[in-house]
Amino acid sequence: MIKKIKASASERFILILLILLGITTFGTYFVIKNECIFVKNFNPKKINFKKPNNIAILNAPCGNVIIELYPDVSPNAVRRFITLIKSNAYENIAFHRVIKNQLIQAGDLEFGKKGSLDYGKIGTGKSGLGTIKSEINNNFNYTKGSVGLARTFKSDTEDSQFFIILQDEPLYEGEYTPVGKVLYGIKVLEKIKYQRNSEYVLRPDFINSFIMLNK
Amino acid sequence: MNLLRSILLLIILIIPVKANTIYNIIKIPNLEIYEINTKNKLKYFYAAAPFRLGTQKNIVCSNPNKKDLEIKYKTIYKNLSRYSYNYLKKINLKYIVMCENLSISELYTAGIPDNIMKTLILDIKFNGDYFERVIHHEVFHIIYLQHKKIFNDEEWFRFNNSKFQYAKCSTCTKKIGLDTYDKTKGFFSEYSMSTAPEDMAEVYSHMMYLKKNEIDQIRKLDPILNNKISYIENKIKQIDSSFIFND
Repeated sequence: MIKKIKASASERFILILLILLGITTFGTYFVIKNECIFVKNFNPKKINFKKPNNIAILNAPCGNVIIELYPDVSPNAVRRFITLIKSNAYENIAFHRVIKNQLIQAGDLEFGKKGSLDYGKIGTGKSGLGTIKSEINNNFNYTKGSVGLARTFKSDTEDSQFFIILQDEPLYEGEYTPVGKVLYGIKVLEKIKYQRNSEYVLRPDFINSFIMLNK
Repeated sequence: MNLLRSILLLIILIIPVKANTIYNIIKIPNLEIYEINTKNKLKYFYAAAPFRLGTQKNIVCSNPNKKDLEIKYKTIYKNLSRYSYNYLKKINLKYIVMCENLSISELYTAGIPDNIMKTLILDIKFNGDYFERVIHHEVFHIIYLQHKKIFNDEEWFRFNNSKFQYAKCSTCTKKIGLDTYDKTKGFFSEYSMSTAPEDMAEVYSHMMYLKKNEIDQIRKLDPILNNKISYIENKIKQIDSSFIFND
C-alpha cells in the first residue's frame, strides 16, 4: 500500500512560486513578441476632422498614423505628396532610415519596395515625376510629429521621400519643406524597426497602406 | 557585384549612428548650438571639439575657450544683426560656426564661407584689431559666391591704375596686411592688392565698418576707391534694393 505523503507548507509555497513563474514567463514572452500590444490603433472613421480633405492615413505595422496635410504652407509639395498617396505609390515601401526617438524616413519608390529592396542604393531612389522646388519660406514649427519632404544636401531636390520627426527639431525650420503634422498615432511610429548602430535599417518595416481619408 | 554590395552593407551596419541634426544639415561634425533664436534667424553654433573638413580633411578648427567665445559671440552677433533676415536669405547665409585657430592646408584664415551650405565659419581668435571688419569681409565672400554672375573681376580690375597687377591668388602674395591705409591710393589695405575678390571684400567691409562721413571723405580724396565703392553699392542694391551700408 502506498502511503500518501502530504506536502509541507514550504513545498506548497515553492510549487505556487513555480506555477507563478511559469505564467509570468509565458505572459512576458507573448507581450514582448507583440510589440504593438500597448499601442492604440486609431480609427479615422470615429474621429471628426476640421479639414477631412487634408487628412491622410498611413498604416504601419502597429496601426494607423493620421496626418493632416498643409496645402496652405507648401502647396506644391502637398500636391506631389497627395498625387503619390492617391496612386498607392507608397504601399509596401520601406521605412529605410530610422533614428530612434528622432526621425523616420520612407518613400524611396525606386529602391525601397518590398521584394526588391536594394540596400546598396536605398535612400537615393526617385519617383520618376522629377524633383520639385523647396518651399521653405512660410513659417512652420518643426515640432514632434511634423512631416517634411526629404532632399539631397541641395535645395529644390524634393521628390517622393518624406520624414516624420519624433522630437522637436527647430533647426529644420526654413531648411526642409513641411507637408503636414501627425494628429494621431505617433506611438505607432515610435515602434518602427530601427538599428542600434546605423541609421539605415536591415530588414526594415514597411508602409502597409497610405491613403487619403476622402478618396 | 554581390560581394561589393555585401561589403557596402557591412560598412553601413558598422558605421555608428550620427544622429546629430547639425551635422545632417551643414555636414560639420562636433558642433553644438550656441544661439538659434535670433531676430534675423541666423543660427550660431560652436565647436564642442576640434573638427576636420573637406575631401582632403585640410580644413581644421579647434573648440574655443568658453570665455573667449562669450566675448567674441557678442561682437559677432552685434555685427551680423545689422543684416536683415531678407538680406541674409538673398545672400544665402544662415549658419555661423564659431571655432578657434581655423586653417586651410595649414594656412590660418579668419573665415571660410560656404554659400551652398549657407554657412560661415569664423575663427574667434583672429586678430582682435580687425575682427569686426573681418566679419563683414567674410560675409562679402558669401555674397560674391552666391551672386557670382553680377560681379565682374575684369570690370573691377579696370578701376586700378594701368600698371597695377593683382597676385595670382589670395595666398600667393606676402601682401596680407589688414591695416587701413592713411593714404589709400585706390586700396583700403595691403591685402586689397592680393586679388580682385579680396579687394572687393575689403571695400565692402570698410563700407560696413567705417562711418558714412569717413567713407564720403575717402570718396572725395580717392577717385579709384570712389569708383570701387560705387560699384559695390550698385551691386548690393541689385541684390537687395533696401540695403543700407551705414547711416
